[in-house]
Amino acid sequence: MTRGGGVGNLPEVDTKELYTTASLAQLELTEQEAERLAAAVGQMLEYFSKMREIDVEGLEPTTHALLKTNRVREDVVVESALADALLENAPEREDRFIVIPNVL
Amino acid sequence: MEGLSSWRNVLSSSRTKQAYAGYVREWESRIGAFLEFDPDRSLPGGQSRGGTRGASSHPLEGIPFAAKDNIAVEGFSLTCASRMLEGLASPYTATAVSRLQATGAVVVGKTNLDEFGMGSSTDTSALGRTSNPWDRSRVPGGSSGGSAAAVAAGLVPFALGSDTGGSIRQPAAFCGVYGLKPTYGVVSRYGLVAYASSLEGIGVVAESTCIARLVFETMRGLDPLDHSSVEHQPSGESPSPLRVGVLGGLSELSDGVEGVYREAIKTLRELGMTVSEIELKTLDYVVPAYYTIATAEASANLARFNGIRYGHRPVHAENPEQLVQSARDEGFGEEVKLRILLGTYVLRSGFQDQYYVRAQRVRTAIRNELAAAFAGVDVLLMPVFPTAAFKRGEEGLTPFQQKLADKFTATANLAGVPGLAFPAGAVDGLPIGLQFLAPAFEEERLFRAAERFAEAVPIQHPAGYSAEWRR
Repeated sequence: MTRGGGVGNLPEVDTKELYTTASLAQLELTEQEAERLAAAVGQMLEYFSKMREIDVEGLEPTTHALLKTNRVREDVVVESALADALLENAPEREDRFIVIPNVL
Repeated sequence: MEGLSSWRNVLSSSRTKQAYAGYVREWESRIGAFLEFDPDRSLPGGQSRGGTRGASSHPLEGIPFAAKDNIAVEGFSLTCASRMLEGLASPYTATAVSRLQATGAVVVGKTNLDEFGMGSSTDTSALGRTSNPWDRSRVPGGSSGGSAAAVAAGLVPFALGSDTGGSIRQPAAFCGVYGLKPTYGVVSRYGLVAYASSLEGIGVVAESTCIARLVFETMRGLDPLDHSSVEHQPSGESPSPLRVGVLGGLSELSDGVEGVYREAIKTLRELGMTVSEIELKTLDYVVPAYYTIATAEASANLARFNGIRYGHRPVHAENPEQLVQSARDEGFGEEVKLRILLGTYVLRSGFQDQYYVRAQRVRTAIRNELAAAFAGVDVLLMPVFPTAAFKRGEEGLTPFQQKLADKFTATANLAGVPGLAFPAGAVDGLPIGLQFLAPAFEEERLFRAAERFAEAVPIQHPAGYSAEWRR
């Protein structure tokens, strides 16, 4: 990626970049999809660059709207009866094991 | 309670249920608000889990309501309107829903939405099309479009939705009903399928402010199952007369919305409220900051959908990697893929400071400016969307234009403050909604302001709306 972050340097996304990003996101894209999505992603990134106009010097990033401190719960065992219902939704199963294709 | 009394006996006998099902069926053939509707679905889970509130009956007892299909209700599916989750049986019930069920209120169905809540039209749903009850060639808004359409058509007195960047308020405005996005964290997110965790929350679409208030008061409160939930802590002040801040420059609004906005300012003055003009310089940066943060969080939240433990699985895969990739390729629609890709991109090493961290600092600037505004006024009057409900297809708005139009709603999500969309008038046969915003925990101000407004401008209903069948 050779793109700089300087003002006036608009981001653009070629399909190679898009495939790299897609692979990070575990998405498989058809050629047609990649073409359409490259254009849409590029358009949004170009629009995001508008954020360079605003002065955020000295401002802390906001990660949560209202949460100021971490909250912890008591370290106690809590019963949950969800396991069977969750397993019911598994696409392929043998007893209480979820089946996937061979790893090796 | 007024407005709910005619709903009380709808589910009480097979005769009334039949009349109910008939009314819903007639509307549903035209608007498709529900993905699932079944007033007979028993709810042993809800009733036994929540317990009862004692002998005296609660105003919500026996009242039917609907939930957006990204909110878990045991006994119903939980699809998020995505092929990825089609047919998934919800193993549990969201806290917000079980608190309502504990009063005796009854879930009668799950409503359509934009896939995973990503959209402004409900058109990105992979499982159904919802039309606006006022004009079937137009969208109901989104992403809680099914909930808003169902309430507007009189199919339920209220429906739950979720609001990440305007997804309750915008469809409420498009369909001419009330839509509350509460203060962040005040209503538990347990059981809401996560899209953008730092922005979203469960709220309510309702046919009156008093129903919205009652539902909000029932749902809210700290929940051990949601770490980010908070206790409702209002200031207790009840400012009177209300000081309302309004926006000066409104160049981006359609003539219809601008006219209704200016008329509403006049109405508020006539009702005795104090009106002053404010400027929000950060408003132009709301959309880029919002979409950077929302897509970044979405890329992480939607990583869990991999076709292994639940959800769509491809017919054939050679190895686990291929299984995951194919499941996601086949299971997600294009708008969802776009947002996952964008979010993954802005979080990639080398780009984080430029996009994600910068967006979070812009978010701080937006919060600060809003806090400064609230030092001088009690509520803000804002547009919800620059236009009334738009047409689907070529004559409508492109996905990019729809995103740009989120600037008035996403402000509240970035700042974590509550907002209430309310019907403010109609132009050319289409309802136009505006919204009040208030500081965190001051939902009561929103209800009071909208209640006063309704004295001057009462809610209107689309042609075909009827309450006769439940009298």
